[in-house]
Amino acid sequence: MGLRTKSSNVISKLVVWTTLGAFIFFVLFPTFYLISYVFLRWPEVQLEVFENPIIGDENWRQILKVLSFSFRLSLSAVAFDLVFGIPLAYVLARKRFPGRSLLEDIVTLPLVIPTSGFGFATSITWTTVAGIGGWLGLGTGLVTNLNVVIPFLNVPIVLFIVHVALTFPYIVRTIETKFESIDTTFEIASRTLGASSLTTFRNILSPLSIPGIFSGAVLALARSLGETGASLIVSGVSSTASIAIVRWTSEFKLATAAFMGSLLVVIAWAIILPAELYVGRRGRGLRISYQLPISIYRKIMKFERFASRRLSRLKDGLPIVVVVLTVIVPIIVVLNSVIFYWSADPYTGKVQGGVVYQLFGPPNYFSILQQATVTSIIVALTSTYIAMCISIPLSFIIERKWYGEIIRTILKVPLIIPTSSLGLSVLLLWGSSGFNLVSPGIWLIILTHIVFSVPVIVESIIASYEGSNIQMYEESARTLGATAYNAIEAVSLPLIKGGILTGFILSFTRSLGETGATFIVMGRDITVPALVVNMVEALAIPAALFTSTYLIVLSLILLVIIRILTRR
Amino acid sequence: MPLIKLMNVTKRFGKITALDHINLSIENGEYLCILGQTGAGKTTLLRIIAGLLEPDEGDVYIEGKRVNKVPPEERNAVYMFQQFALFPHMNVWENVSFGPVIKNWSKDRVKNVTSEVLEMVRLAERKNAFPHELSGGMQQRVALARGIASGAKILLLDEPLGALDARLRVDLRTQLRKLVKDQGLTAVHVTHDQEEALMTADRIVILRSGRIEQVGTPHEIYSKPQSIFVTSFVGGSNFLEGTVVEVNSSGSVVDLRGGLRIKVADTSRNIGERVVVAVRLEDVSIGTMEKLGENNLKGVIESTVFVGGSIEYQIRLKNHAVISSRILFSDTFKDFKPGEAVVISFHPERCYVFPYPRAGLLKEIEAI
Repeated sequence: MGLRTKSSNVISKLVVWTTLGAFIFFVLFPTFYLISYVFLRWPEVQLEVFENPIIGDENWRQILKVLSFSFRLSLSAVAFDLVFGIPLAYVLARKRFPGRSLLEDIVTLPLVIPTSGFGFATSITWTTVAGIGGWLGLGTGLVTNLNVVIPFLNVPIVLFIVHVALTFPYIVRTIETKFESIDTTFEIASRTLGASSLTTFRNILSPLSIPGIFSGAVLALARSLGETGASLIVSGVSSTASIAIVRWTSEFKLATAAFMGSLLVVIAWAIILPAELYVGRRGRGLRISYQLPISIYRKIMKFERFASRRLSRLKDGLPIVVVVLTVIVPIIVVLNSVIFYWSADPYTGKVQGGVVYQLFGPPNYFSILQQATVTSIIVALTSTYIAMCISIPLSFIIERKWYGEIIRTILKVPLIIPTSSLGLSVLLLWGSSGFNLVSPGIWLIILTHIVFSVPVIVESIIASYEGSNIQMYEESARTLGATAYNAIEAVSLPLIKGGILTGFILSFTRSLGETGATFIVMGRDITVPALVVNMVEALAIPAALFTSTYLIVLSLILLVIIRILTRR
Repeated sequence: MPLIKLMNVTKRFGKITALDHINLSIENGEYLCILGQTGAGKTTLLRIIAGLLEPDEGDVYIEGKRVNKVPPEERNAVYMFQQFALFPHMNVWENVSFGPVIKNWSKDRVKNVTSEVLEMVRLAERKNAFPHELSGGMQQRVALARGIASGAKILLLDEPLGALDARLRVDLRTQLRKLVKDQGLTAVHVTHDQEEALMTADRIVILRSGRIEQVGTPHEIYSKPQSIFVTSFVGGSNFLEGTVVEVNSSGSVVDLRGGLRIKVADTSRNIGERVVVAVRLEDVSIGTMEKLGENNLKGVIESTVFVGGSIEYQIRLKNHAVISSRILFSDTFKDFKPGEAVVISFHPERCYVFPYPRAGLLKEIEAI
């Protein structure tokens, strides 16, 4: 008995240490290297950013400018999301109607679709005659060009739309989950006590779900601040913080880019950590106590009674319109345009403007696309595979060790820091200015993708782990005679198989669609989403159309697979 | 030699002491019930025997061997969860043969043992079914079969009937005991249901806030409760506060509030001591005559509750204390109406006398 116990102890310690080592090496270092880089090379940063001999502190002023622009954009997108997202989350959480799961899928779509392809789809939808403008018979795009801004906010409208579409799922799904976790009996009690549905929402549901709303908003904000792929395509002349990092890196203004990148990491931390702490205190809602004169209160109640009855259609309908306009229409437009542009430009009649010419003619984008597809798939498979090897044992460590929660919190960081910061961090760590082990190219892309693949897979495994009472089954197996290792192999792993598979697909999809970080670390190799950006910059619109369609269709297929896997 | 022996076992979770110096011996072939309220430490005790938890202090012995550091798989003690914990990805056959397979028994032996045990719990025909396709009662039988097939000699049952319907629960508890006895197993059965414990156990351990309050056969626990808590928790009782005013060879006299005076057979208290006298509901008889027996107290029927085979009366005494009485229906049964003046009586032999608890009477009988 002693020997068996001892050797299994050694093995389990070995597994734990190897996993933690891999976690530190592949995830922790790359995530935080950027910040330490800024500290280590502070004189360099100071010289380039604040005391440049030629331009003075111009770079610093640039940083402030893009940061303020980014925040304006992200905050307004999140505000818009909240207004339309909360009612939609309510509908999805509380109502059962035909097409509900389809609607849920559509809302989730922007999480899966490669952002550069989606950004391109959105840009042609709003700014070209192939999009809504053409449908309405305007002869031009609905919005003249990418630089048209929303008054007062001073934010380009198409960029705003893209950010809304890409952040909407975070808000809706997080709040939906929160709503679902709240027992309907509270609402029923409130309704039977005489409150209208809107009053009930204000007094009962919303205070209880404040943590959910808050964490959804934080996630969306972080996502918007870090968005790179789509923004690269639709930003026009304006520049968000994440784009600036990509641009400065390509201009070799590394110190400025690193400084800005670490600012973004710190900001993401500063937003997410308090939110985590706040939301972590479970079961506590927020109660704002206020006292209104009874006459005003009566008026509010009366309005809510009226609105509950008359405006409910509006409340249910408008969010769906938003989803359709920001998600469905661009996809239809891009699919539609590929057909229109197939053999020639439909407006000028030139074959050079057709998809066929650009793919198979002299520009020969098809062979580049083929190569990019191979690169993308190798990257996605390799990084997901390595991430799996780290994530499965890591999930068990998170669930069982006292420091598990710490690792879990750290793992949130790669998910929320801007991908371009992440890419820069990886480049500086492994590349010529750091350990000088890996030069830009496919291996550096893989190393970058591992950083965000691990948290994606871990979250998925943990959800499945916590949902299936693993501890009880394992303990049961142990008392029936299974060793700790046997219990994991025969009981826990089969039980979380669904979570592992889902994690695999999610990570694969994410890797396939990632643009921001890839763009920085890819060197001469190129992935499909990065190719879209290059095509748009080269004004090879038909080729970009085809490639976007290709990406979107690919990710739709993956989404269907996820759905089948997660269905019970 | 006892099969399982706990010596000074203590377990703390943070500031909470879940088990406080537990000493307990469990004999081979015994059916032991651990009875206590939620949070008394019952499950912790069971998990320590199973090896799923390690005690902070004290020792656990199985078959005379100290097993503090022995992992659960080497203790031959199978733990049955309230939710049965049948592996959802395995069918009945795979679940039941899990122990034999994992212990690397020969193919023939695995097959023989599994089919034999499945026959025993009358589930051979459902061997290909998955747990979710079975009723709660069937799942419970599969869980039992799985435990027995693993060759375990000790069954650790954590509220084994808690997840079942009330009717089924009553039917199954006698079956559970029979199975354990037929197979010559030793069972430790955790429950908060006093009736379940009284009906199934050879011995009952009453656990309260991590300490053993009393150990004994069901009859001992019921007829010789050693504390107010046990009296109240098992069977229920009336509690009368008073002061001992006289002790002689045949018993003592206790002064209640409001000038009422009763006789008790107990002589262990001292004159002047503040005491609580407990009288079981079924030991209180009611009549209309002046004198019924000993300890005649006058009162008025306040309310009646129909219980089923019996009826419960609440009687307000002259000193405003309320006493409950349970009367079985019989040929001589006479119904009383609220407001009726009656006389109640109880035998001094049927009075349990306890010193007045330091923390107050309510603390001892509350929240039951």
